[in-house]
Amino acid sequence: MLVLSRRVGESIMIGPDVVVTVLEVRPDLVRIGIDAPRDVEVHREEVFVEVQQANRSAASPAPQDVEALAAGMRDDPKRKKSPDDDTATRPPRRGNPG
Amino acid sequence: MTATLVDLPTLDFAGSLIGFPEAHRFALVRVEPDNEVLFRLVALDIEGLEFVAAAPYPFFPDYAPEIDDATAERLELFDASDAMLLVLLTVGPNLGATTANLFAPIVVNVHTRRAAQVTLVNAGYSLKEPLTRHAAAQQAS
Repeated sequence: MLVLSRRVGESIMIGPDVVVTVLEVRPDLVRIGIDAPRDVEVHREEVFVEVQQANRSAASPAPQDVEALAAGMRDDPKRKKSPDDDTATRPPRRGNPG
Repeated sequence: MTATLVDLPTLDFAGSLIGFPEAHRFALVRVEPDNEVLFRLVALDIEGLEFVAAAPYPFFPDYAPEIDDATAERLELFDASDAMLLVLLTVGPNLGATTANLFAPIVVNVHTRRAAQVTLVNAGYSLKEPLTRHAAAQQAS
């Protein structure tokens, strides 16, 4: 592993267009700012691993199970149609969780 | 005009689906012609890979995640109406064994079809929320 020492406000370049900046250092916490192009995804590692596992378990379900799920919804009209014109995929709220 | 998912035949991920770095483009297909809630997400870059996704509202009416500014900027979402949500399902042999990933929904820009799987850290959402929980709670009360 490459190890570099940086002070608050100093940055590291990863490749030509990813910039990682140390914003704040406390005894048990470091805040880091990341500037990256839109196609570079940035995740906390433990979150990435959890979602990766969930996605893998969701991948390519058995066709008969999907058919059974759809069949179960046929008898439940409110789950088959969206409740209003806005479609069932209500837009998410915008906000900054911090 | 409000776009519906039917208007979005292909989703183009700004990065990829988490854990599938080569999966950038997915075809969005209704599981059944008259079902507006349940979709197959068929990978166009990886043969044989597909997912089942649902519009969350009919199952989880209270689900209203906040999209962070970085994601909004990445997907060029300027207004809430620019975005639509899908949640990935882990489909089990029956409804009770089927779960929805509310922690990491797929956000779609309805105008550009750009999509991203976002992670809602510290918002209290589950990676495996049973589809039946809402209905079960209503019956119990």
